[in-house]
Amino acid sequence: MVETVLVVGILASIFVGVNIGGSSTGIAWGPPVGAGIVKKTTAAAIMTVFVFLGGWTVGRNVMNTLSNNIITIDLTLSAGVAVLVFIGLGILVANIFGVPVPTSMTTVGAIAGLGLATGTLNHQTVLRIMSWWIVTPIIGFWIGGVIGRYVYPEVNRRVQIKTSDGPLLAVDSNGTIPRPVLGPNTTRSELASTTVVLLIGCYMAFSAGASNVPNAAAPLVGGAGGLQPDIAIVLATLAIGLGGFTIARRTMESVGNELSDIPLLAALFVMVTASTITTILSWIGIPISLVMATVMTIVGIGWGRATRPITFRDAVTQEVEYTEIVPGAITAEGMVGERTPPIGEDEPKEVLDAGELFNPKAVVKYVSMWIIGPTMSTVLAYGFFTLVPGVV
Amino acid sequence: MLSRILVPMDTSSHARHALTYALENHPEAEVTVLHVVGVPSMMMGEAVGLTLEADLEAAAVDRAAPVIERAREIAREREREIDTIVGIGHPARNILERAPDYDAIILGAHGADSGRVPHRFLVGNIANTVVGRSPVPVTIVR
Repeated sequence: MVETVLVVGILASIFVGVNIGGSSTGIAWGPPVGAGIVKKTTAAAIMTVFVFLGGWTVGRNVMNTLSNNIITIDLTLSAGVAVLVFIGLGILVANIFGVPVPTSMTTVGAIAGLGLATGTLNHQTVLRIMSWWIVTPIIGFWIGGVIGRYVYPEVNRRVQIKTSDGPLLAVDSNGTIPRPVLGPNTTRSELASTTVVLLIGCYMAFSAGASNVPNAAAPLVGGAGGLQPDIAIVLATLAIGLGGFTIARRTMESVGNELSDIPLLAALFVMVTASTITTILSWIGIPISLVMATVMTIVGIGWGRATRPITFRDAVTQEVEYTEIVPGAITAEGMVGERTPPIGEDEPKEVLDAGELFNPKAVVKYVSMWIIGPTMSTVLAYGFFTLVPGVV
Repeated sequence: MLSRILVPMDTSSHARHALTYALENHPEAEVTVLHVVGVPSMMMGEAVGLTLEADLEAAAVDRAAPVIERAREIAREREREIDTIVGIGHPARNILERAPDYDAIILGAHGADSGRVPHRFLVGNIANTVVGRSPVPVTIVR
C-alpha cells in the first residue's frame, strides 16, 4: 500500500516538476535565448544545475514551512501525495487555459485546505505567508516603478548589449599553454555583457530552484514510507531539468516571445529584481511564486516609465490645449516626417499617452489573477479532505 | 447614408472580412482603419516594450505596420483610399473613445487572441463591449 502511494506520489511529483521546469526555464532563459546569447539546450543544462543548488540550500527553508509549519501535524505521505495531485491538477488546468498558475501559492492553498478540513491549520504561519503574498507584489511593483522611471533610462543611455557573429571566445594555441582569447568579432564589452547576462540567468535559475523545488519535493517527504529530503530534492531537480530540456523549448518561445518585446537590458533588471525577491522570501521560508514576482516587476517598470514626470513643454502644452488632446491616438500617415516639432510650433493635434498602456484597472486584474489559483486549491483540498478523511 | 466608418482591425481574418465588408457595402463612405498596439497580455511584454522606447509614437507606428499595410492592400485591391489610425492600450476603450467621430463602426466578431483565457480576462470581449457601449450603430462581421 505504502509503495503504491509512493509510486503515485513520485509520478505526480515528476509531472509537477516537469511543468515547473517548463515555465521557470522559459522565464529565466527566455530573454538570453531570444537574444541569441545562449542555445536552448545550454540554457536547460545550466538551469538544472542552478535549480539544484537553489533547492538544496535555500529551498530547504521553504520545504520546512510546507511540510512542518502550515499544519500542526506532520504532513503524512498519503496526504502529501493527495496535495501533489491537486498541484498537478492546478497546473493541468493552467496549461489547458494558458493561464500561469502560481505553483507555490497553489501548494500552500492545498496544504491549508487539508489543515482546515482536519482542524490542524497553523493560523499564525498561514497569516504570515499571506501577508507576504500581499506585500510582495506591491514591493515588486514599486521596485519596478523606480527602475522604470529613474534607473532604466539612465543605464540605457550608457550601456549597450550587443552580440557579434562568430564564437564569443577562441583558444589561442600559439603559446606553450593554450589560453582563451576573445573571438574574431568579440569586443571586450560584449564579453562583459554576455557574462552578466549568463550570471543573471543562473541567479534566476537558483531562485527558481529555491522557490519551486519544495513544491515538487516537500509533499513526498515525511511520514512512514516517505522519501528522505535529499532524495526528494534530487528527484524534483531531475524532473524540473527534464521540463527544461523538453517543454521549455515551447515556453521559451511563448514566454520568451512576450519577454523579447522588452529590451534585454530591461529584462535583466526584471530578472534581478524578481530573483532577489524570490530568494530572500524563500530564505525566510515563505513560499512565493517566481512568476508573480516577475510579472509584477515588469508591470511596475512599464508603469514607472509610462507615468514618468512630464517635461516642462508637455506640461505647458497640456494646460493650453487640454481639450484638444485625445489620449492614445495618432494618425499613422500624419506621423511620417513631422515628429517632435521644435518648440514654438504647433504640436500634433493628437498625442500618444503611454499612461494608456498601464491603467490601474489592468494592474488590479493582474493581482486578482493570483488570488484565484490558491483560493481554488484551498477550497478543493478542503472539500477532498473533508469527504475522504482517511487519507490523513 | 453612412459617410464616416470606423473599422478597428487586428491580425485576425475576421478583421479583414470586416474591412472588405465595409469597403464593398459602403462605396461612398470615408473608411478609417484603427489598429491598437500594446494590448494588455500575460507578461505585458508588448506594452512595456513600447513604453521603454525613446519615441513612443514611432515605435507604435512601427509595430502597427503589418496590420496597417494589410489594410491598405485590401483597400488598393478595391481601388479605395483609407485613413489609418494607430492607438495604444486597451482596444475597446480606444474604439469607444473615437466612436463619436464616426457614423458607424464595423468590426470583426473575434480578434486574433480572443480565444485565449488570459486575453479574455485582461482585455475582455472587444466586440461585446463595443456593441454594448457604442453611441453609434455597430455592425459585426464574421
